[in-house]
Amino acid sequence: MNQLRWDPTMREWVAYATHRQDRTFLPPAEYCPLCPTKPGGFPTEVPRESYEIAVFENKFPSFAPNAQVPEEPGTTLTPTAPGRGICEVVLYSDDHDSTLATMSERRIRNLIEVWADRYEELGALDFVDYVFIFENKGEAIGVTLHHPHGQIYGYPFIPPRPAKELGAAREYRAQNDEHCLHCELLSQEHEDARRILIRGEHVTAFVPFYAHFPFEAHVYAHRCAPSIADLEPEERSDLASVLKRLLAGYDSLFGFSLPYMMVMHQAPTDGGDYDGVAHFHIEFYPPNRTADKLKYLAGSETGAGAYIMDVLPERTAETLREKIEGR
Amino acid sequence: MQEESEVRKEREAKDDGRYIIFYTFDDEEEGED
Repeated sequence: MNQLRWDPTMREWVAYATHRQDRTFLPPAEYCPLCPTKPGGFPTEVPRESYEIAVFENKFPSFAPNAQVPEEPGTTLTPTAPGRGICEVVLYSDDHDSTLATMSERRIRNLIEVWADRYEELGALDFVDYVFIFENKGEAIGVTLHHPHGQIYGYPFIPPRPAKELGAAREYRAQNDEHCLHCELLSQEHEDARRILIRGEHVTAFVPFYAHFPFEAHVYAHRCAPSIADLEPEERSDLASVLKRLLAGYDSLFGFSLPYMMVMHQAPTDGGDYDGVAHFHIEFYPPNRTADKLKYLAGSETGAGAYIMDVLPERTAETLREKIEGR
Repeated sequence: MQEESEVRKEREAKDDGRYIIFYTFDDEEEGED
């Protein structure tokens, strides 16, 4: 059952997918459903003995292409709608014990090709308005499978956070001689330099001035490309290089493979004009404040939407930059 | 800096009707860093 219910107080859809209660939860490694199917072994999601990068439809999707009109009709005030969309799982490698951070720069470069291909293919579906590429890593984030993988949600609407960001960028553009908000933010970060982590030829990683998590990092394309599919080959290569270095730095922070949420913000695929408004970038939100303390989204963050931080971005950027540079 | 590589894309149907797509690259290395 895939159903949407409208919250008129927040002006946002909430997705219900009750079958997800039964999804596989932290199976032992020998029963990982994302590993290749070995001869004589149990059948996994991947009917091959090995693979490089694979993508498949999620068995427990939050949105489904064939979602039916909900039996619950809702009301004019609180309507319902089919949870029509698509959910994919992206397998980064057939090596169960690897992570994006331990993969070669070449593998990350190839993964970028896959992400771009999925953006174009899913974005072309008439019921997908936003292609959201993301990864939840680590049990602290609530992952149910350790095998290195990410996910893609093809939403039937523009989700609230990207919508808010796009709205801000559109308003900024209208009020500032058609300038891109993200280009200006990146320019400000380059000029200030205190929060820069890695400055590549085409891509920069930095801790934003207004970080919501202690070691939050944003990875911006220098050029105002609306989506990952709009990146040129040399930009994709630089993105792979910057991601590799950033992720290695993350894993050096506390001496363990750092949990994080990785999300990509880019142009919606609803047919609108987002030139100069959408600026492709990746955001990382690691939950750790220290090696053994997590940043929780508690009362103020969840109930009021107001983030309270106990460390300044300049300080975390300095710490993370030292790790990235091997100092 | 990594250069662009040729990609092959094979789409198959799983037993339950879901699709799976295999991406292979002509320059893929063995092993990890």
